[in-house]
Amino acid sequence: MKRHILTAAILAGLVVLAVLASQLLGIRLYDRIVTNLCISLVLVLGLQLFMGNSGILSFAHMGFMGVGAYTSAVLSIPAQMKGMALPDLYPFLQGVELSPYLSIAIAGVMAAVVAAVVSYPLMRLSDAAAVITSFALLVVLYTVMTNWSALTNGPRTLFGLPKATDIYLSAFVAILAVIGALIFKESRTGRLLRTSRDDERAAAAIGVNIPALRWRAFVVAALFAGIGGALWGHFITSFSPKAFYLKETFVILSMLVIGGANTVTGAVVGTFIVTIAYEGLRGLEGVLNEAKVTGEPVIGLTEIVLALAMIAVLILRPGGLFPTREIGALLRRRMETRK
Amino acid sequence: MLEVVDLEVRYGAIRALRGISLTVKKGELVALIGANGAGKSSAMMCIAGALKAAGGSVRLVGEDITSGKPESIVRRGIATVPETRDVFPDLTVDENLTLGGYTRRGDAAGLAEDRAKMFALFPRLAERCGQPAGTLSGGEQQMLVIARAMMSRPKMLLLDEPSLGLAPVIVDQIFAMIAQLKAAGTTILLVEQNVAKALSVADRVYVMRLGRIAASGTAAEISAATDLSALYLGAEP
Amino acid sequence: MTFAIQFVIDVLSLGGAYALMALGLVIVYGILRLVNFAYGELIMVAGYTMFLFSGSGLPWLVMAAVAVIMAVLAGIATDYVAFRPVRAKSVTAVLITSFAFSTLLQNAALLFISPRPQTVPLPALFSQTVTIGGAITPLRNLITIAAAVILLALFALLMRRTVLGIAMRAAATNFTMARMLGVPANLIISSAFAISGFLAGVVGLLWIGRIGTVVPGIGLEPLLVAFIATVIGGMRSLSGAVIGGFLLALIDTTLNYTLSQDLLKFRDAFTFSLVILILLWRPEGLVKGPATGQRT
Repeated sequence: MKRHILTAAILAGLVVLAVLASQLLGIRLYDRIVTNLCISLVLVLGLQLFMGNSGILSFAHMGFMGVGAYTSAVLSIPAQMKGMALPDLYPFLQGVELSPYLSIAIAGVMAAVVAAVVSYPLMRLSDAAAVITSFALLVVLYTVMTNWSALTNGPRTLFGLPKATDIYLSAFVAILAVIGALIFKESRTGRLLRTSRDDERAAAAIGVNIPALRWRAFVVAALFAGIGGALWGHFITSFSPKAFYLKETFVILSMLVIGGANTVTGAVVGTFIVTIAYEGLRGLEGVLNEAKVTGEPVIGLTEIVLALAMIAVLILRPGGLFPTREIGALLRRRMETRK
Repeated sequence: MLEVVDLEVRYGAIRALRGISLTVKKGELVALIGANGAGKSSAMMCIAGALKAAGGSVRLVGEDITSGKPESIVRRGIATVPETRDVFPDLTVDENLTLGGYTRRGDAAGLAEDRAKMFALFPRLAERCGQPAGTLSGGEQQMLVIARAMMSRPKMLLLDEPSLGLAPVIVDQIFAMIAQLKAAGTTILLVEQNVAKALSVADRVYVMRLGRIAASGTAAEISAATDLSALYLGAEP
Repeated sequence: MTFAIQFVIDVLSLGGAYALMALGLVIVYGILRLVNFAYGELIMVAGYTMFLFSGSGLPWLVMAAVAVIMAVLAGIATDYVAFRPVRAKSVTAVLITSFAFSTLLQNAALLFISPRPQTVPLPALFSQTVTIGGAITPLRNLITIAAAVILLALFALLMRRTVLGIAMRAAATNFTMARMLGVPANLIISSAFAISGFLAGVVGLLWIGRIGTVVPGIGLEPLLVAFIATVIGGMRSLSGAVIGGFLLALIDTTLNYTLSQDLLKFRDAFTFSLVILILLWRPEGLVKGPATGQRT
C-alpha cells in the first residue's frame, strides 16, 4: 500500500475536488451528478478489483448491485410503508426497520455472501466460458429480482426507501473504495492473481490455487457492488429490477474500459470522463427534445457515443487511458527522470 | 529455389533462432538435423509463415516472403507438413485432400489427377478415403498430411519430423515415399531427428545446434564426419 | 392424441427456430471461440428492414429477401467493426467490443427509428390456422418447421459439399493448419459472419412473425436462446447446436405445459441455472465438439 499513497491521495483528492466544486457552485443538479459519480465509482472500482486483477470479464456485477439495493430496501423501508411498498412481504420481515446506514452495510455483506455461495464453482472457468456463465448469472439474478415479488415487488417499481445517501456519504464511501481497491491490488491475493493472469500455467505449477484467488476477488467485488447498489437505492429512493441489467452493465463497463481496467487510476478517471460525457450528452438529448427537431423523442444518442468511444479505445489503446501504471507511479517516475 | 539469410526467431526473451542461413536448390532434398530444441521446427514454422521472423529474410525463387501470412506462402508455392501431424480429425480423408488443393480450387481436372496420383502413391489412403481422418493410424495420418500438402502442387515441400512417434517399419515406409517424391522431382526441406534416415535420403545436410547452423555439407560429407555426434550433441571437439 | 400432435408441432416449430438461432451463433464461436453479443441485433436489423420497406408496395418475399441481405451485411459489419480490429489483442477485448456493438445497433434503432414497437408487414399466410388431426395450429408454425428443415439441409450441404464449407469445418478445429493449406483467415471469418447473418435474418422473419412488431430490444431473447442451446449442444459442434436448440424447445414447451403460472415466471432462471450447471459439469457441452481449437 505504501507505494500507492500518492495515488490514493490524488484520486481521493479528485473526489473531494468534485464535491467542493459542486458545493461552491451551489447548483442542485451538480450535487446530483457528483453523488451519482461517487456511487458509480464504488461500482466501477468493484468491477476493476475483479477484472483488473483476474483478467476475466464479468457481466454479473450489476446483479450484485441489485442484490444490495433490494436487501437494503427490505431492511430499511419504514414498517408502516411496507404494507404498500411490499404487500406480499414475509411476516418476519414486515416489522424490520433498520437505520439505512446499517442496512447499507448489511446489503454489502449480503451481496458478498450471495456471490460467495453461487460463484465458487464458476471460478475455474476462463475465457469465453467464464464470460457466458457470468452473463447467465446476470440473467438468473435479474429473473429472480423480477419475479420474487414478496421481496422485490416484482417488475414494478419499489418505492419508499428512506433518502439517506447524500453527496458527502457517497464521496466518503467512494474514497474508501479507492483505498480498498488499492489495498487489494497490493495484497498477496491481488499480486498472485495478476501473476496467474499473465501465466496461468506457471502460477498453477507453483501451487497457486487460481479459482480460490479469483473467488476472493469476486466476493470483494460483490461487496462493493452491494454497497454501491444500496447507496444508490437510498439516493434514488425508488427503482425497479431494470436498473440492474444490460444497459447499466454497459455504462459501468464503458467507464472501466475507457479508463483502463488494469489500474485503479483508470477506473477512477474513466468514471469521471464517462459521467461527464454522459451528463453532457443526456443534456444535449434534452435540448434536442425541447427543440422538437424530429417528431420522435431523441434517445440513445448517449449510448451510441459511448459505444463508439469504447470500441475506439479498445482498437487504438486496448489497455484504456491508464493501461499499466497508477497515477502516483507515473508522476514519481516523471519527477525522477527530471532530476 | 529457397534462400534463407540470417533468420531470427524469438519467443519473448528467448532467441530460438540466432540467425541461420541456408539454401535449397531446385529438385534437391535438404535435411535439417539437430537435437531437440536446436531450433529446427522454429525455422520451419517461420519459413511457413506461422511464426514471425525477428530478423533476416526468406526468399523463394528470388521473391521475398519473409513473415508472410501462412495462406499467402502456400500460394507462392511452399507447402508445409508440421510435426504435429495436423490432420483435420472430423473431416474425411477425401475432404482433407480437397483442402490440400485449396489454392487450386478452379482446376478440377488437375485436382482429380493429383488425387489419383496420391492414391497411387499411398494406397492405404485410397482404401480409407471416406473415413474421418481422426480414425487413421499415426502412419496413415503422416501419409495423409504429406499427400495433402502435395495437392497444392508446391514448388517446395517442408517436412517436419515425419518419423516422430512412428514404429520403425512405418518410418521405413514413409521414407520410401519421401524418396519417391524426390525422384518425381519435388524440392524438399526435411527436418528430422532420425539422423540415419535423414542422411539416407538427403542430398545435402545442415546440422543445427542452439539456434545456429553448426555444420553443413553433402550427405556423404556429413556421414563421414567423425565429429558428427559431437556436433549434434554439442560437446566441444 | 390431439394433445400429442399439438405438443409435437409446438416443440418442432419452436425447436426449429431455436436450432437456427443457435447455429448462427455457434458458426462464429466454433471458428473464433468468441461469443458475438451483437448476434441478436442481426435479427433486429432484419425486423427493421421489413418495417422500413412496409410502405414500399413490394411483394412480401422481395422485402423478406432484402431483410435477410441486410442481416447478412450487418453480420459482416460486426466482423469489421467489433472483431477484426481487436481479434489479435485479447478475448476480453473482443467480447467487450461485440457487446458495445450490440448496444450501438440497439440505440441506433432507438434514435433513428423509435423506441415504440413498429409493425412489420406479414403475409396473410402467417395469421391463418390449420387443423391437423384435431389440433388447431397456426400455419406459421408449419412454415417455421419447413423453413428450419430446408435451411438445415442447405446448411449441411454447404458444410459437406463445398470447398468453403469444408474449409470452415477445418478452420473450426485447427485454424493455423487451415491457413497453412492456403485457406485465407479473413475469408473464413467473414463467411462465418455472413452465414450467421443469413440464419439470423431468416429466423428473424419467423420470430417476428409471431408477434408482428419489432422493438430495439427484440434481439435479446433470441441471443439468450442461442446461448443456452449452444451451451447444451457443446459450444463448438454445429450438430450439437441444432440438437441443443430442439432440446431447449422440448424443455421450454414441457415447462409451459406443466409449470404453474407462479413458477413459469422463473423459467429463465431455471434454464440459465441449467446453462451454468452444464458448463460446470462439462465445459465442452453435452455434445463433444471437434478435438482441438486455436484462435488466430
